[in-house]
Amino acid sequence: MSKDYQMKAAINQKLIEMGERERLKELLRAKLVESGWKDQLKAHCKDVIREKGLEHVTVEDLVTEVTPKGRGTARRQQVVGTGQKSSCPCSKTEKINLVVQ
Amino acid sequence: MKMEDMPLSGPDNTKLEALVNDIYSELVEDACLGLCFEVHRAVKQGYFFLDETDQESMKEFEIVDQPGVDIFGQVYNQWKNKECECPNCKRLIAASRFAPHLEKCLGMGRNSSRIANRRLASNNNMSKSESDQEDNDDLNDNDWSYGAEKRGEHRKSQTSPRRSKTLKHKNEFSPFQYNYNAGINYEMLGPDEVQSFLTTVSSFHGRKKSFQSQRCPQHTDEQRMAVRVFLLGPSAPVLPEADSVAVPESFDIPDGQALMSRLQWEDSPEISPSDSASSKASEEKSGSPFPIKRRTDKEPVSVSLTGTNHSDSRSLSTKKKKPKLTAPSISSIYDDLN
Repeated sequence: MSKDYQMKAAINQKLIEMGERERLKELLRAKLVESGWKDQLKAHCKDVIREKGLEHVTVEDLVTEVTPKGRGTARRQQVVGTGQKSSCPCSKTEKINLVVQ
Repeated sequence: MKMEDMPLSGPDNTKLEALVNDIYSELVEDACLGLCFEVHRAVKQGYFFLDETDQESMKEFEIVDQPGVDIFGQVYNQWKNKECECPNCKRLIAASRFAPHLEKCLGMGRNSSRIANRRLASNNNMSKSESDQEDNDDLNDNDWSYGAEKRGEHRKSQTSPRRSKTLKHKNEFSPFQYNYNAGINYEMLGPDEVQSFLTTVSSFHGRKKSFQSQRCPQHTDEQRMAVRVFLLGPSAPVLPEADSVAVPESFDIPDGQALMSRLQWEDSPEISPSDSASSKASEEKSGSPFPIKRRTDKEPVSVSLTGTNHSDSRSLSTKKKKPKLTAPSISSIYDDLN
């Protein structure tokens, strides 16, 4: 729906303007490294590379292979890590609420 | 802001959550993409697989995770309880104490000779027998004691020049048994002893000067003669020889009364130091290049030429560097200053 789309765009813009998006990004990166998600994903990358052959690996290959897995494991990691019941890290929801309000 | 109006009610809540999820997914994808770029660059640059060597080395250096053993697999306190046999004394020494024991046993460390000398010194004091001491360097490190000083006299020929000087001074004290145990009874010293005592004390402190001239390097002999004439009158005695070591008898001031006619102690209140300095400065213009003003800055004595005559029989040294006074006058001077 366009209204939602507009709202999403507006939120994004606000986040970027206030610098919160960058901050959230760094926060997420730090958490993922801490939890070991990054190393897991890197190991997966190694397997993919060994499959595909070292010389002919492209970025697109890696992205298509790695991103879905990454997305899924990130969600699970976050849920396990924070101990929250919702499917998204509630702390971030709260933060976004604070930002928005 | 539009968003402020949106309460967290049922359907909106889910919408909000969906929005948040979307934002979160975007962030995660950004992270994944970042990782992919990093890996791809590492692969293309050739450093992605650098930490993986052949299988054998991998197994050899695998991280060990057992109790009692570090991550390399080594036991860390393996040598704690072991004992080693000393090759010198054939004793079994604990491993951690082995190196210090070897030092003492072989006599090669820094402290081993010192301790050995000290032990021999104490043995000598007990048994009063001469022993063959090999290391003279540590002799000065020992605490000064009466016994060590007595023995030090025998070793004059073997010592370095620096040590010979200090021993010479110690020899001079022997006439009246200068040692820390007895202490010095100042009242019982005769005048000759006091003079020689003061001589050696002052020359001990200015070690180099005791063997050279006592003249101040900042002033010439003409300046000295001028001062002497000024203070003592035209009949001032000639300056003593520059090369001779300071001898006590050259400092008996010949005319104490004449001197006192020109000098006055500080305890007269009507004279201020500035007055005396200015009055003396006018007198100085007659030709003496030696600025007596400087002396008044250093000494607590204010000097004036009022001509008042003090009948105290005090003898005063003309030069600062020669503070030798006869024994009876010492106490009187200090009484006046107090």
